Amino acid sequence: MTHPKAQANPLMASHFLQGRRHLLAGSASAVAAAALGTWTRPAAAQVKPLPAYVSWKDANSLIVHSSSTLETRRSAFGTSLITPAEQLYIRNNLPPPDASIVADRDAWELSVEGVRNPRRFALRELKSMGLETVAMVLQCSGNGRGFFPGKPSGTPWTVGAAGCVFWSGVPVRAVIEDRGGLAAGIRHMTGTGGERLPEGLDPKSLIVERSVPIEAMTDALLAWEMNGVPISLAHGGPLRLIVPGYTGVNNIKYIRRLAFTTAETDARIMSHGYRISPPGTQGDPAQPSVQEMSVKSWINAPSPDSAAPTAGMVQIHGVAFGGLSAVRRVEVSVDGGKTWRESRFVGPDLGKYAWRQFVFAARLPAGSHRLASRATDMAGNVQPEHRLENVSGYNNTSWADHAVTVTVS
Amino acid sequence: MMAPVHAADDASGLALGRKLFKGGAIPACTLCHTLKDADSTGVIGPVLDELKPDAQRVATALRNGVGNMPSYKATLSDDDIRALARYVSKVSGAMQGAAR
Repeated sequence: MTHPKAQANPLMASHFLQGRRHLLAGSASAVAAAALGTWTRPAAAQVKPLPAYVSWKDANSLIVHSSSTLETRRSAFGTSLITPAEQLYIRNNLPPPDASIVADRDAWELSVEGVRNPRRFALRELKSMGLETVAMVLQCSGNGRGFFPGKPSGTPWTVGAAGCVFWSGVPVRAVIEDRGGLAAGIRHMTGTGGERLPEGLDPKSLIVERSVPIEAMTDALLAWEMNGVPISLAHGGPLRLIVPGYTGVNNIKYIRRLAFTTAETDARIMSHGYRISPPGTQGDPAQPSVQEMSVKSWINAPSPDSAAPTAGMVQIHGVAFGGLSAVRRVEVSVDGGKTWRESRFVGPDLGKYAWRQFVFAARLPAGSHRLASRATDMAGNVQPEHRLENVSGYNNTSWADHAVTVTVS
Repeated sequence: MMAPVHAADDASGLALGRKLFKGGAIPACTLCHTLKDADSTGVIGPVLDELKPDAQRVATALRNGVGNMPSYKATLSDDDIRALARYVSKVSGAMQGAAR
């Protein structure tokens, strides 16, 4: 198998220099955010301006960890199910390609390999081959890393490296059908991102290329639209591989190659990155890969970073999802997990890959309360109390970690 | 507990850290990271002047790798890792933390 060579792109450097200037100069919106924000977390003192490529986002809703990692504030998740693009988190493994790739979206090319009749497609051709829309939880593998007491390397996300968004595109299975079916012996679907790679480094050490089990193809899309508009560059436009139920990194941005393969890619991001490494070890291909999501929920309000509720009735609400399985129920505790009560779902059911919103009305007296939520999926899996310890802080679904302490006045 | 660091030792440690950052470490840190003090403008990894990692965090990343960043455990000595971590934390403006 060959890997496409990185292409030099002279526009790239100036694009990023521009971003740097923007960062250094600061921005009016970030200043406004600092002045108007009501959150009380310590991070409030360190509001950073939005990087240039996401300058259109809502600074009030986001925590800027770095130029490639932005997190939605817990208090910013509303109750309208779908996460607006302006609030959606960002996690890029490499800087995005130059914005020129979204200037003529229909001309973007995708190479389809590992089928009976391999071929390159222009995006405009893909658009004629099928159409589906899915509502899906997009969640970074490291969402919840900030709750690991060992402070693993990587962004210390709490809950906001996730969102629920609509994607539209052509089903991958329609493309396979068009190409005469899969080649023999295929076990994986491998996507390759179109980021520019720097010279002087082994491309395999950096290229964003991930393999998922071939079964994931069934509901996968090659998507060009998110929440009703063409996918922004920041979120992987013009074309993104969408693998519902799988963590963010498996949803390849700016996809330029979709290959059906007999083995997992040996790109480092697959072979050593995103592995569940037991404490004291390093990533290695024998360890489980971070792929499917599992049942999880958290409370968005009330929370310590939103206004304190007053004594009396409080609507405790949050989100729950099951990864590959729909979520069946969410229980809520107002005593730190000693006792649990059934919550109810609010809003429409957007399908098994979307999250459900839950609400539990509780009468809370003045004082401090530990609020927790615990979801169960259709297969009967219950959200665990404890996280699975691992070196890089992946897949944290612990309800205890995600519980919030609120002070009712 | 680390032994007290004398100013002269610290200066030579920082010089070593800078040298490693600029090319002693392979691949060189400059390929991916921006760090003003080292005149580097890499855009692949975090901008260290922004991230301001403490020495402990740098040392852990160097030993274990993080995300796309490889582990340097096999190619850098423990003293090298300490010097590099101290250098990055110092010149990026992080609070000085001792690398273990």
